[in-house]
Amino acid sequence: MRRSIAQRFAQALIVLTGVVLITFVMLRIVPGNPIETMMGEHADAATVARMTAELGLDQPLYRQFLRYIAAAVSGDFGTSYSLGKPVSQLIRSAFVNTLILALFAALFAWTLGIACGLVCAVGKNRLPDRLFMGFSLLGISLPVFMAAMFLQYLFAFKLKSFPISGTDSWRGFVLPAVALGWNSAGQVAQMTRSSLLEALEEDYIETARAKGLGRFGVLMRHALRNAMLPVLTMMTVQFSSLLSGAVITETVFSINGVGRLMVQAIAGRDIPLLQGTSLLATSVVILGSLLADCLYAVLDPRIRKEG
Amino acid sequence: MPGRKRERLENAADLRLQSQLGEEERFWDLMRRMARENKTAVFSFVLIVLMVLAAVLAPFLTPYDENSMDLLHRLSAPSAAHLLGTDEGGRDELTRLLYGARVSLLIGVVPALLSLLLGSLLGVIAGYRGGIVDTLIMRTADVTLAFPSMLLAMVIMYSLGGGIVNVFLTLTLVSWANVARVVRAQTLKLKNSEFVEAARVIGVSKDKIMRRHILPNCLPTLLVLFTLNIPASILTESSLSFLGLGIQPPNASWGLMINTGRQYLYSAPWLCFAPGAAIMLIVLAFNFLGNGLLDVLDPRQKKQ
Amino acid sequence: MKKIIALLLVLAMLPCAAAFADTAEPGLLRTAVLYDISTMDVSETTDDYLIPLNVFDRLFETKPGDGSSEIVKSLVTDYSISDDGLTYAFTLRDGVVFSNGSELTASDVQFSFERLLKAAKENTEIPLEILGGEAVMNGEADTLAGFQVTDDTHFSVTLTAPNAGFLAELSAPAMSIADAETMSPGFGKEPAETIGTGPYIVTEWVSNDHYTLVYNEKYWGAEPSVKKLVVKVIPDAMSQNLMFQNGELDIIDLQSLDSAIVASTYKADPAARIVGTPKVGMVYLIMNENNPWLKDVRVRKAIAMAIDTDQIIQGIFMGDAMREKGIIPTGIWAHNDALEGFSYDPDAAKALLREAGYQEGEISFELSMDSVANTSNQLIYAFVSDSLKKIGIEASVVSYDHAAWLAKRSSGETDAFVANWGMDYNDPANIMYTFFGSAENAKARSLNYPDAEIIARVSAARAIVDDEARLEEYQALEKKLIAEDAAWVPFCVTLHLWCLGERVDTFTPHWAGFADFYAADVVLK
Repeated sequence: MRRSIAQRFAQALIVLTGVVLITFVMLRIVPGNPIETMMGEHADAATVARMTAELGLDQPLYRQFLRYIAAAVSGDFGTSYSLGKPVSQLIRSAFVNTLILALFAALFAWTLGIACGLVCAVGKNRLPDRLFMGFSLLGISLPVFMAAMFLQYLFAFKLKSFPISGTDSWRGFVLPAVALGWNSAGQVAQMTRSSLLEALEEDYIETARAKGLGRFGVLMRHALRNAMLPVLTMMTVQFSSLLSGAVITETVFSINGVGRLMVQAIAGRDIPLLQGTSLLATSVVILGSLLADCLYAVLDPRIRKEG
Repeated sequence: MPGRKRERLENAADLRLQSQLGEEERFWDLMRRMARENKTAVFSFVLIVLMVLAAVLAPFLTPYDENSMDLLHRLSAPSAAHLLGTDEGGRDELTRLLYGARVSLLIGVVPALLSLLLGSLLGVIAGYRGGIVDTLIMRTADVTLAFPSMLLAMVIMYSLGGGIVNVFLTLTLVSWANVARVVRAQTLKLKNSEFVEAARVIGVSKDKIMRRHILPNCLPTLLVLFTLNIPASILTESSLSFLGLGIQPPNASWGLMINTGRQYLYSAPWLCFAPGAAIMLIVLAFNFLGNGLLDVLDPRQKKQ
Repeated sequence: MKKIIALLLVLAMLPCAAAFADTAEPGLLRTAVLYDISTMDVSETTDDYLIPLNVFDRLFETKPGDGSSEIVKSLVTDYSISDDGLTYAFTLRDGVVFSNGSELTASDVQFSFERLLKAAKENTEIPLEILGGEAVMNGEADTLAGFQVTDDTHFSVTLTAPNAGFLAELSAPAMSIADAETMSPGFGKEPAETIGTGPYIVTEWVSNDHYTLVYNEKYWGAEPSVKKLVVKVIPDAMSQNLMFQNGELDIIDLQSLDSAIVASTYKADPAARIVGTPKVGMVYLIMNENNPWLKDVRVRKAIAMAIDTDQIIQGIFMGDAMREKGIIPTGIWAHNDALEGFSYDPDAAKALLREAGYQEGEISFELSMDSVANTSNQLIYAFVSDSLKKIGIEASVVSYDHAAWLAKRSSGETDAFVANWGMDYNDPANIMYTFFGSAENAKARSLNYPDAEIIARVSAARAIVDDEARLEEYQALEKKLIAEDAAWVPFCVTLHLWCLGERVDTFTPHWAGFADFYAADVVLK
């Protein structure tokens, strides 16, 4: 088992390098000198040439890449063209907001999703089951921005329960988190339901039931624990889709997070910022799936035995 | 794609393999069975056909020109003359919606098709050739999948610039990796099956085996993947356009219509709700259809 | 377990029940901007002026007066101009100190002017007019030859050529005065190192999130009503709109909202207090005279006649705009009210094209749109395209991202585009010279106006000292450019509107209708 985890770790590292390389090349094949963009209308040729040399943009791509990696390892991701500050500093303040948002969203999605999945599994094919499952499909098909706009309108604008925008207090995170978690909640609910139902088919459940435990009791005591394994792994992987969704929610609710930073980096043709944010986002996802693998290995008795 | 769905897809392919090796697949029988058992899927299919028809026949369904402006009647509420009101430029919203359907449907279908072609090609090659080719392709797929899809799409759109062709390319690059994984897994199973072995023994070339035996056997799975990739593409594009990174005006997709309609959410809500509802409908319909296909192909795990 | 689920659900609902209340402390003014500033240093920006306006002072300020703007003394208490119009002698205000306690002297003024030239980035135009400016910028000289410091409060400035608009130019945000003695590398980047003499101090700047200004206790002028200004970065007009209506903002800049929303949300509400000022400048259409079709003056005239500007004003801006017929906009002293532009006449436009031998659909060019164009501009693009189609010209709108758009325009290759020009200072040269003052300028705007003689005259007009003669020359040039050459199509000047929240008593916009304003001129209730 230890070996397989080490293997996964090495693999993650390779993927991460690939990500850096691909984004690096992709962002630099864009035609046009980023310095000219950065200086705007009043750029004169001499200054542009000087700045280009200063930032090493006149050197061959591979050398720029090595330079970037070397700096990145020591925590220096360059200076944002559009905001004029170190990328690491910009990302740090934005990442906190995104992290809080994602955690709130995950909390919402998992509580609601598991609860709904449980209710559905207990009363399979009864009204609540059908209702919840229809609802979860709706959740999956509803674009995040529609959910975000709707929540903002109803709870912030009409009912004034939460601010339209703001990260000063936890209140500001509630609506964006719900909008963001909505999608995942649907997925978690479906997953919980189906793995619970699957677990209920197992032999030992029959035994438990024969011993006189009720359906709910069986579910709680025995099925739930076993059914949680796939759900748990899905949760870690879901961080990836949460990050995708954060781009939208942060835009709608005007939260200074990594997603919005990325949108701004694109609008401002800000290569260092875009590179930094996408690197961060992918690292988080890779770490997440690594964590999922480890978790799986630790929790799943079958794998544990093999190791 | 959630891991579970992929698992079911692979199951489905296994079943196919067990039941039909050697024997010709009767595709239409399956479809008929689905039609009998799954009314939602049928209904979804009809809905999709209707939407496609509406998009194709747009010029005959509306008396208005999609770009003709009437600045003195901006944002007018739905009425008999304008069933869905007019947009911020005084253009008929229903007309825009119908023409927007063309763009949005194309954006669903074209990248799904392209990623299917690219993904299955690479998947088969990776699975069949193995070795360094396999490693190279699958590591690239890993890297692609390591990106949150939206972020990857944003980075690619940045490099390519906005516009419909670039949206096609971007969505293809975002979704090929999943296809490649599924197809590779199946190729690996098929590779060691008796009939492929037999073909190899009698000296059929590698290319031919891949073309003649392996790809056709992946077809049902690919069909499901295709159906499920369409709504995913539509959703991703609508998000991109919502951020202003996708389709550029004066072209209009539903996502872009919501983007521009957003600021009128409280004074002219129909500008957001009409395209929003259209997106939801089409995405739901394709999801139902895809799930229906999956159920038919993998009856073992059909919705408990 | 059932209980736990129920508890969780209740917990999830709880926050919805409690109403959200945001209380603002007295003296606090909350506003929002669409983009964060990139710097607080005027040598690096021509856009981000909110901090320069409030944290720094200039020798003069332009303030809105009755009907038009007037130039008032700020750090200067007295001045005189030599007869040849070249040398200006100034007396500095006594006892002015920077927010760090350092005293304001004439050498600070000299330092501030030279700093712009040595940085050689933005806002070099005005100090370049001073004798020796070129040499300082090239690095050939260390100090401005035309800047004479007599003592701590007296100095004189000599120009290379007479410029009647010089005092107005000194009031531009670019000419903010910084402290020579305590200048540090963090100036413009770090709040604590960005020191001015103005009514406010920057205390905090969280990139991309917000920045905060508080009252400067050492300020020489009257204590303002606003003691603290919080500027939030909200990159989306829609959210700003909602935040304002929810009481999360005290002032909202309505500029980036579609006028239709302003009309339905704010104007329809009798309680809403809207303040407006013309955004001194112009919404215009540029036609590139290097384009094979657009170089024909008849085509340009036909285009000018094919677009119904009244529809733009009434339809797109809902009446919050005024028709402009020339180049020098209303509010600038050389503006010509009597100028005859082209009036809307699509039939005549069509006839003109046929007469010139062009067939229906023969002429086609691209209308290049900046992807960051706001809704109103997008609508103008679509409307221009639609209007030209009606006279048989195919003008297709193509969207470019901001950088690509700018690059294409600056290289003189854009066929046609719609844009806004906001005046930096109250002098016709600011617009005439920028667009028609040299072949390079005309190229950088993708105008490529070819008449070298007119270009030379526009350039020379800057140096005419006699106001009367200068006015006459500018108006003659404008007439030639518009009526004879149809060199560009003017549309309108828009009203820049703000809506005031309950906590604000009075608000005075910047004289030129900038989004940036003097916080000290705001009075809270």
